[in-house]
Order: sequence, then C-alpha cells, then structure tokens
Amino acid sequence: MENDINIRKNIEYIRELEGNSFKFNETEIEKEYANSQKEKSSIAIKILSVIGGFLATLAFLGFLLIAGLHDSEVGLVITGIGFTGVAIWSNVEYKKLIIDTLSVSAYAIGLCLIASGLTALDVGDHTVCILLMLISLLTIGITKSYILSFISVLTINGCFIYLIIDSDVHSLIHIYDAILLVLLTYMFLNEAKLLADKRLPSKLYNPIRIGLIISLIIGLVFVGQRGIFDFGIKHIWVSSIITIPLTIYLISLIVKIIGITNTKSLYLIYSFSILFLIPTAISPAISGALLIILLSFLVNYKTGLVIGVISFIYFISQYYYDLNFTLLTKSIILFVSGIVFLLFYVFTHKKLGQNEEV
Amino acid sequence: MLNSRKQNMERKDIEIISRHSNWTEKGIDKVLKEEVYSDSKSWKGFLNLLFISLGVGFTVSGIIFFFAYNWADLHKFAKMGLIESLIILTTIAVLFSKLNLNVKNIILTGTSVLVGVLIAVFGQIYQTGANAYDFFLGWTLFISLWVVISNFPPLWMVFLILVNTTFVLYSQQVASDWSEVFVFSSLFLFNSLVLVILHLLLKFRNDIKVPSWFTSILGLAAIVFSTIGIIIGIFDNDQSSFLILLLLSIVAYGAGLIYSFRTKSGFYLSIIPFSIIVIISSLLIKISEDAAMFFIVSIFIIASVTLLIKGLLDIQKKWNNGK
Repeated sequence: MENDINIRKNIEYIRELEGNSFKFNETEIEKEYANSQKEKSSIAIKILSVIGGFLATLAFLGFLLIAGLHDSEVGLVITGIGFTGVAIWSNVEYKKLIIDTLSVSAYAIGLCLIASGLTALDVGDHTVCILLMLISLLTIGITKSYILSFISVLTINGCFIYLIIDSDVHSLIHIYDAILLVLLTYMFLNEAKLLADKRLPSKLYNPIRIGLIISLIIGLVFVGQRGIFDFGIKHIWVSSIITIPLTIYLISLIVKIIGITNTKSLYLIYSFSILFLIPTAISPAISGALLIILLSFLVNYKTGLVIGVISFIYFISQYYYDLNFTLLTKSIILFVSGIVFLLFYVFTHKKLGQNEEV
Repeated sequence: MLNSRKQNMERKDIEIISRHSNWTEKGIDKVLKEEVYSDSKSWKGFLNLLFISLGVGFTVSGIIFFFAYNWADLHKFAKMGLIESLIILTTIAVLFSKLNLNVKNIILTGTSVLVGVLIAVFGQIYQTGANAYDFFLGWTLFISLWVVISNFPPLWMVFLILVNTTFVLYSQQVASDWSEVFVFSSLFLFNSLVLVILHLLLKFRNDIKVPSWFTSILGLAAIVFSTIGIIIGIFDNDQSSFLILLLLSIVAYGAGLIYSFRTKSGFYLSIIPFSIIVIISSLLIKISEDAAMFFIVSIFIIASVTLLIKGLLDIQKKWNNGK
C-alpha cells in the first residue's frame, strides 16, 4: 500500500539522520498509522462533538431542573460521580471517536451535577473548585484522550479564574496570565523535547496546547484595556512585564530564522518592535495575542494562528474604543501607527528582497 | 516553499514515529524545523502581509476616527473633498503603480472602506442618520465595480456583508411588515445562490480560484440563516412564507449533500445534518416542554451527533480507500 511505502521512507530517512542507535517498533507504528487512517479526525468532527455534547448537556440540565430532581443533594452528587465515571471509563475502554459526543456530555453533566450537589450541601465554593480541578487532572492522566483532556484543561483554568474572582484577589489574574504565557511559550518552543520525553504522553500535547491557548485568551480578556474587572487601569499593565519580553524574545528567534545578521537592520528591527509594543503596555492583551500569532506561525499551527488573529483584532479594537482620548487624538494615533506599519512594509520588502538575492 | 521540504513529512508522522521509537530530541527538532515549521521564505511572506494589512487597516481607521470627530469648523466641501481626494489618490496608486497585485488589492479594499466613510460624512452633513439602509445601499453600489475588477476574496467578503446588511436594514426601516421568517428566507436564498454560482464557476471555469475559507463562511452563513428562520417558524405560527423556507431548505440541503458526495468534501456533510438535528430538537421542544421531553432531546442529540460522526468517519474511510 502507498501508505506503507511512505512509512518506510520516513523511517529510512530518520535512520539516516540518527545512525545505528535508532530503534523503533515497526508493528506499533504501522498499527497506529492504520488506526489514524480509520479514525481520521478532522477539526469539523471535534467541533461537532463539543457543540453536540454542550447542547445535550443543556437539554439534560433543563430536564433535571423541570423534573425537580435537583432536590436531593446527595443524589445529585452520586449521579454526578456516576456520569463522570461513565465518561472516563467509556473513553478508556473504547478509544473511538464516535463515543466522543457521549463522553463529552456525560462528563460535562457529571461535573455540573457534582458541583451543584456539593454547593447545595453547603460545601464551600473553593473546595468544590479544587475538587473539580483534581477530577480534571485525574481525567487527563487516566484517559489521555483528545477531547476529554481539552475539556479538562478548560475546566481547570475556569476553576482558577472562578477562585480568583470569588476571593476578590483580582490582581492574581496577572499571575494566571503569566503562568499560562510562559507555559504556552515553553510548549510551543520545546515541541521536540516534549515529544522525545517518554515520561510524558505525547498524545496530550495537542489537546493541552489548544486548551491552554483558549484559557490564555480568556485570561487576556480580563486584562484588555478597561477590563472586565474594575480594579482601575493602573494595574492592567502588569501582565505586560511578561508579554512584551516574551514577544521580543520570539522576535529574536524569528530574526535568526530569516537570517538577518546586519547590525544596523537588527537595531532597526528591535527599536521598531519596542516602539510598537510600548504603547500596548497598557493593554497586555494585545501583545499576548500577538505572541500567540507569532508562536503559531513559527511552528506552522493553523488553528492557533486563526484564533490569534481574531483575538488580536478584537483586543486592538477594544483598546482604541476604550482609550480616554478625543476622537481626534485617537485618529492621529491610529493614522501615525498605520503609516509606521506601511514603513515597516517598505522596509521589510526592500531588506528581505535583498537578502533573498544573497 | 515546497521544494525545501525534503520528505513531505507531516506533524502527525513525526508524532507517531516518535511515540514508538527512541528518536532523540535533537533529531525530532531537526526534522520538525525542516519539514513542518515556517522557514525563512514563509516568514518573509507572512511579515509582508502582516505589515501591509496592519498599515492599511490602521491608516483607514485613523481616517474614519478623523471624520467621526465632529468638525464644526471644517466646511462641508472641505470634509468631503478631503476624503474624495484620498479615494482618488489611492485609486491612482492602485491603477498606475508597480506594486505587487496583493498589495494593490489590499489598498483597494481600504479604499472601498473609505467610500463608506465618504457616504457617512455625507450623512453626517445632511443628517440622514448613521445606519440608514440607503447609506449601505450606496456604499454597496459604489464599490461593486472594484469588487468585480479586483476579484480579491476579502473585498468580495466585504461586499457580501454589505449586501446582507443593506437588506436587513431595509427590512427593518422600510419594509417593517415583512415577517422574520421571510427576512431569514431571503438571506438564506441570496447567500445560497451566491454559493451555487461560485461552485458552478469553479466547475466550468478553470481560471477562477475561490479560497475554501470563502465558500465555507458563505455556506455556514446560509445554513445559520435557514436554521434560525425555521426555528422561528416552528415557535411562531403566524409567520408567512414558512412553508417556502422549508421547501427551499429541503432543496438546498439535498443539493448540498449531493454536491458533497460528488466532490468528496466533508464540510456540508457535517453542517447540514447538524442544522437538521438542531431543527428537530426545537421541534421536539415545541411539541412539549415537559421534563421528559428535555430528557428525550438530550438523548436525541447525543445519539444523532454520534451517528453523524460515525457516518462521517465511514464516508472518509471509503473516500480514502477509493483514491
């Protein structure tokens, strides 16, 4: 089969690079290839599972509310544990894409039931949150499946945000953003290391990455210019301490890939980048989204790129909408930035064109 | 870009092989960089595109904000004259400069937005209201020639959004006696027709290229309109043209499914059945709002989406083997 030839060719190529120490399990590789052919999951199928699971969960919760089954708290918790258990078990038992919708709904319903049951039993919100996080961590560890791990990552981060809001320590959102930013950058830049490390299940790489991207964007919404939190514009810039240096670091990597070595050009590039990033310091969401764009393009990850571009446009618009200037001042700032970007364009067009000829 | 990829390995290949071998970090890193990651050339293209889009985007928004500032001192002729000269200048740049075609198209898209600014300023001076439908109608009409000539997908997207907006505003401001279902039916019909024309063009004219994101957005918009229209029709009995929408949808959905099978594309095969699932669920809730019905609906959604995914996987498998 055409497929087998391709696998051989790839393995041969790697053996050439790696030398004789390269060992592989051919039957396992072929088995996984065959499986991935059979279960070729597209992004459409993943979105279908998640949205379908979400709608089913809503309908089911509607059923519980109308039927008044939520009166028995202990019952809720037990049913919730049952649902979560079924979700995890079915995922481990049948590693098939078609049960994804079922396990997503069972899992979401289970978590909702556990949370509302425990809350009704007067267990504190924080304990419930920590419990949900533990369940999610366990789920990731046990199932290692794409869709449940993705939802678990979102649950864990959602719980963090809830804890931050509920405890009225809004500034901690900066720590949350900082951790996610560093974690995500590390993940993107060390893909090879994470794949090579046999202690870490490499199947978790993709779902955790997309889960972290979405969690980060939610965290960034809170540090958009005016922010949802009302802790004054004074503190919003704090996250920039992380986003701007990370972005500059990434630019230094990109410059190397493009192969710019001329000192004058390097000075120009860094000063232009800083010139652009400094005014965005009061809205770290912008540089955060830019970071996602650059990281995703660096490793050629399209879904991340699309998410980054959309959030970048949103954060930029929010920024100008919220600025406390007259329309005239805003217009001048925008116009000048536009001209600066056009100059960037002329500059890169000329410089990079020259490079190509060398 | 293609010739720099030696092996045509994808990320998936690298993941699978690394999972079942002692492939070193250094080796994986090398292959990832060679085969998957963006190289110098794609970075150059990306940065060029990024800067020109940001440049035109920011400049045009600067101009919009400039005119949104209510200039009491500026004479109305000066205001309109300024924008008009900007439009003329940029059009000249597009017509006579030696810029690359993509850049020209991006500038022309910016100019098309400026036409909207011009009409808005006109509205500001003569107090016609900011979101009057004729404002959008004028805007749409005046840029249509550019849209056709440039044939630039993002500009076509702007144009289609304008047509849809004009229609919605017209239905609210002038034809307020139209039923909601009728409005959604028309939107559905219009976007589906554009989609059909595009697919016909793609089939019979080899020189025309339509990016898949364009047809996907259009198809998604059409199906969202029909789904919302039908759901409104289900819950509100007094809506005229509900039957027509139903018939139209059946025909269009059927055509979409047949098209998908013929061209082996999975997109419509996932969104059309999903739309039907949502419609049936709301029909079930219309029949009864009891607790039991909600239970049935949740089971129905899980079962039907699962079946749908199973179907999609089976079809994919068949298509892959048939290759």
